Amino acid sequence: MRGIDVPPVEVLRVEGRGGEPDGFREFVAARSAALLRAGWLLTGDWAAAEDLVQTALAAAWPRWESLVRQDAPELYVRKIMVNTFLRWRQRRWNGEIATGRLPEAGGYGDVFAQVDARQSLLAALDRLPARQRAVVVLRYFADQTESQTAAALGCSVGAVKSHAAKALARLRAAPGLAELMSGGVTS
Amino acid sequence: MSTQEERQLSDLLHRVTPEPPRGVTVEDVAIRVAGEAVRSRRAYRQPRIRRGWAGRGRAWVPALAAAAVVAVAAASAGVATLLTSRGGPASPASGHGSTAPPAPASASASSPAAGQRPAARPAFPPRPVAGAPWGAELINPDEVAQDSLTAGDGSLYAVVSGSLDRIDPATGNVLRSAPYQSAPPLVGPPVVAGNTVWAVWSYSGRSVLLHGYDGTTLAPLASVTVPVTGWLPATAQGVLTAGPDGNLYLAAGGAVAVVSPSRHRVIRQIRVPAPVISVAVAPDGSRMYVSTSATGQPFGLLVYDLATGTVVASSTGSAGGGGNLVATAGGVWGTAGSGMSQWTWFAPGGNLARSVRVQGGAGGGLASVPTASGGAVWIGGSRTLACASPATGAILASAAIAAEGGAPQYLGRVAVIGGHAYADYQGDQAGRLGVVRMTPPAACFG
Repeated sequence: MRGIDVPPVEVLRVEGRGGEPDGFREFVAARSAALLRAGWLLTGDWAAAEDLVQTALAAAWPRWESLVRQDAPELYVRKIMVNTFLRWRQRRWNGEIATGRLPEAGGYGDVFAQVDARQSLLAALDRLPARQRAVVVLRYFADQTESQTAAALGCSVGAVKSHAAKALARLRAAPGLAELMSGGVTS
Repeated sequence: MSTQEERQLSDLLHRVTPEPPRGVTVEDVAIRVAGEAVRSRRAYRQPRIRRGWAGRGRAWVPALAAAAVVAVAAASAGVATLLTSRGGPASPASGHGSTAPPAPASASASSPAAGQRPAARPAFPPRPVAGAPWGAELINPDEVAQDSLTAGDGSLYAVVSGSLDRIDPATGNVLRSAPYQSAPPLVGPPVVAGNTVWAVWSYSGRSVLLHGYDGTTLAPLASVTVPVTGWLPATAQGVLTAGPDGNLYLAAGGAVAVVSPSRHRVIRQIRVPAPVISVAVAPDGSRMYVSTSATGQPFGLLVYDLATGTVVASSTGSAGGGGNLVATAGGVWGTAGSGMSQWTWFAPGGNLARSVRVQGGAGGGLASVPTASGGAVWIGGSRTLACASPATGAILASAAIAAEGGAPQYLGRVAVIGGHAYADYQGDQAGRLGVVRMTPPAACFG
């Protein structure tokens, strides 16, 4: 145990428009929706997704300048998200239990078909082990390369390939997902 | 991305994943940063800090907390008020700073998919209903489907010609409206479970489809497809109920399906030896009552021990029907008869051999349906309106429903909110239908 794992205080000096580091506000505005969607795919729940994203952004805040210099803030935020998600799963922590899913955007026309599609997708993702689910989200939603995914998960490229192949096989067998993959429902 | 399957999966994930209901703001993150720093400072105060790190921690952790609070204050004057100058939470409302994840945003938050607000219409002043008891006044003149009215969390819900409406009990105004078209005709009223309103969307063939709507906005939340065991009887009525365990119980042919409203799936199936007409669950969750259909025979009533899923008692009625079961502390209620004469019965302990006919019932193709609401059982119909003890079945108060111009008037399912009883109403005159509000005698609330 290393004691308290937080960065030195000097990186938290107040800068930028509202106290946050330069560029941080713009990044949050531009990328929070995509990050939340990735969080939703990982957890199946908007509240937990929001918690994941906030946790990752809070971790990125004190390191922001360094991350920007490396041109890697989003990769870092996603890395924190998936590793936080994996820690939650290890602890069998499922967060607060939502009483229902939040209403989602869309018209009434085929809204139940959309809801059905989302439920089928979440049910299929729920069947995946946590690391396979994380690989699916990073590789196929966040469009990260195998090496970026391996770096995020702290494993080898071969392990990423293996997780991806196993995940695809499980998703292929999930009820209704094959039809959705071949172009069923539009949102 | 190499294979077609991978491309299809990627496309699916982008296509189906919804847009978030709200975004994350810098202020949210600033609060989290401050909270982390405060927790770190509290950890520093613990006597178990490891040697070698303790001194370093003392040097910068309090400063980190202070700096974070400065950052928060600068980021948002509004959220800064949640924190003291020392960085500790000043108010329990600052939940984002705690280790718990943020509570789910309220379902009442504005959403494009929320139930539509109905078109404005002229205010409908309450009108007294001649011949109807307990000071009945019509507060809503819409075409409410017979026996579709229900109450939950201070609101009324009713099926009204192609829509599910949320109605303000104070004014009778329709607050929200969502498309709803049940086919075949209604097999029971909507059921409120938590803040979700569940309605049977289709009840035929090999599966039953339930739709769930947000209780406040009527935004669609979920749909659950329940497979049918055997076949669905044509006499099914009152097929969906909410148990005290929070789950939904659905008559699904030769089984009762237990549906988790939060997981949106069937979590248990309890096999029944004959097609199920109606299902009810005792208030203490120990017993489930199931009425069953047998061609050309009176209906049957089975009592299940829910813990084991086994039948502990069975009895047979003396007539057809057997729908609209309601379970109370003293037993189970339901309807019998059909066509020109229907009535409500009460079976103490779920034993039809001891059942009694309750009140005058209904005629002319109208139903007489029991409901349990506001601590009493209510029996509507076209002849009398009554309230009864849920423990003994004794009538506590009763009033005649007078005919209007020689034609019966009808008061259907009663739902109680705040000392008033509401019922769907049908009169003989054109346009005389909707929701009425009544003030029952105190005896009903004994």
